[in-house]
Amino acid sequence: MNALEIRNLTKTYPGFTLDNLNLTLPSGCIMGLIGENGAGKSTTIKLILDMIHKDSGSITILGKDNSDSIELTKEDIGVVMDEVGIPECLTVKQVGNVMKHIFRNWNEVEYARLVQKLALPDQKQFKEFSRGMKMKLGIAIALSHNAKLLVLDEATSGLDPVVRDEVVEMFSDFTRDENHSILISSHIVSDLEKLCDYVAFLHKGKLLLCEEKDQLLAEYGLIHCTAEELHHLPVEAITYKKENPYGVEAMVLRSAVPEGVNVSPISIEELFVFMVKEAK
Amino acid sequence: MKALLLKDWYMMKKYCKSYIIIAAAFTALSLASKGNMFFVFYPCLLCGMIPVNLLGYDERSRWMQYSGTMPYTKTQLVSAKYLIGLLSQTAMLVVMGIAQGIKTTVSGVFVWNDFIVLMLMMLIMATLTSSISLPFIFKLGVEKGRTAYYLMIGMVCGASVLASSFFRSDLQAEIRPNTILIVMSIVGVGVYILSWLLSIRFFKKREIQ
Repeated sequence: MNALEIRNLTKTYPGFTLDNLNLTLPSGCIMGLIGENGAGKSTTIKLILDMIHKDSGSITILGKDNSDSIELTKEDIGVVMDEVGIPECLTVKQVGNVMKHIFRNWNEVEYARLVQKLALPDQKQFKEFSRGMKMKLGIAIALSHNAKLLVLDEATSGLDPVVRDEVVEMFSDFTRDENHSILISSHIVSDLEKLCDYVAFLHKGKLLLCEEKDQLLAEYGLIHCTAEELHHLPVEAITYKKENPYGVEAMVLRSAVPEGVNVSPISIEELFVFMVKEAK
Repeated sequence: MKALLLKDWYMMKKYCKSYIIIAAAFTALSLASKGNMFFVFYPCLLCGMIPVNLLGYDERSRWMQYSGTMPYTKTQLVSAKYLIGLLSQTAMLVVMGIAQGIKTTVSGVFVWNDFIVLMLMMLIMATLTSSISLPFIFKLGVEKGRTAYYLMIGMVCGASVLASSFFRSDLQAEIRPNTILIVMSIVGVGVYILSWLLSIRFFKKREIQ
C-alpha cells in the first residue's frame, strides 16, 4: 500500500497555481519535497491535510481518500508545520496533558522519553522557547502518538546542526518500520539528501521531477571543462550548462556521455538548482 | 473535545485572571449597592468576551492552523469555543445568582419571579457578545471579525434608535415587562444557537493559512 497518492491535484490562488500535481509515496519510504520559497510545498502539505480546499484532483492517505472523514486518518499522521502552534502559556507537561486527550494512541512514556532526549525544559512556558526548542517540541508530539505517516513542513529549520543531525536520525529510525513513511519539505537540501529515498522537485507550482534519489544520482553527473571540450559532447548528454570565465560547469546525463570523459557525482542540491534554472 | 476544553482552561487560568478579579469586585459592589444593576450586568457582559479573547490568543499562537492537523472536525473546533463560553457564562450566572439571592433574602425582599427575571436578563447579557461576535471571527479572523462586530453593534444601536421613534410611547406600558423578557430570552437562546450553526458553516468554508 502507498502511504500517499496525489493525483492531478490543482489549487489556484491569485498569482499562483499548484498545477496538476502527481506524487506517490510508497509505505516505508521517505520523500523529500524540495522547492524554493513559494514553489507550493506548504500548499501541497495543507491540501494533503485538508486544511485548504483543492480545486480538483484526489489525495489518498494510507489508503483513504482525504475528503472522507480525514479527522480519523489524522490519528495516524504526525505533523510538524513550519511554525508549531502551541498556545504560548502552555508548559511541556500541560501540552502532554492536552495531547493525551487529542490522540487515541498517545504514548505518554514515549513523549516523556523524547522530551528528555531533546532536552526540553519542563517548567518553561512555550513562549519562552527558542525557535529550535519549539520545533523540537513539535517533533516530540508528532512522534508520540504512533503515527504511520509523518508530514513535516520545514521541520528541521531553526535547529542547530548537531540537533538537526539527531532529529534526522530520529526520522530515519521512524522509517525502520516498513509501515512508517515520511513526507518532508525543507530548504536544507543536505538534510533531505541524507534522509530521503525519493525526491520531488517543485518549481512555481509545477512538479519538475519525482524520482528515487539513488537513481537520480546515478543518472546525472557534473562535468567541469572548457567551452570547446563541451562542444565535443553529444547535445543530448547536456541537460544544463553554466559558463563562467574559468570554463563551463555542465549537468549531464551519464548514459549519454562518451566513455573516458570524467563525470563527477552531483548532489541533490546542485541537481535542483540546475533544474530550476533550466525551467526558467 | 475534552482536550480542547482543557487547553482553553489552561489559557483561561493564565489570561483571564483579570475577569475573575473584576467579577469578584463587581459581585461585592452589587451586594453593597442599592439596586445599581450595572454591577450585576457588566461582569456578565465581560464573560461573553472570554471565548473571543481565547480565539485571539489562538490566532496569535497559530493554534488555529495547528489544530487543523489534529483529528478534529471543524464543527468540533468551533463547538469547543461555544462550550467554553457557556461554561464560563454559567459559572458567572451561578456566582451572581447566589450573591443576588443572598442579598435579597437577607434584605427580606426575595421574590422568585423577580429573581428569575434577573437571571434571564443576566443570561441574555452573557450570551449576547459571543452570539454576535463569534460568527464574524470564525469567518474573518479575530482582527477583521472584531471590526465587523463593532460595525454591527453600531448598526443595531442606530436601527433601534430609529425604530423606537416609530412606536407609540404608551406601547411599552401595555406590554408586561416579564413577557418582554421571556420573549427576549427565547430570542437570545435562538440567536445563540443560530450563531453556533453560522460559525460552523463559516469556519468550514474558511481556509486557515
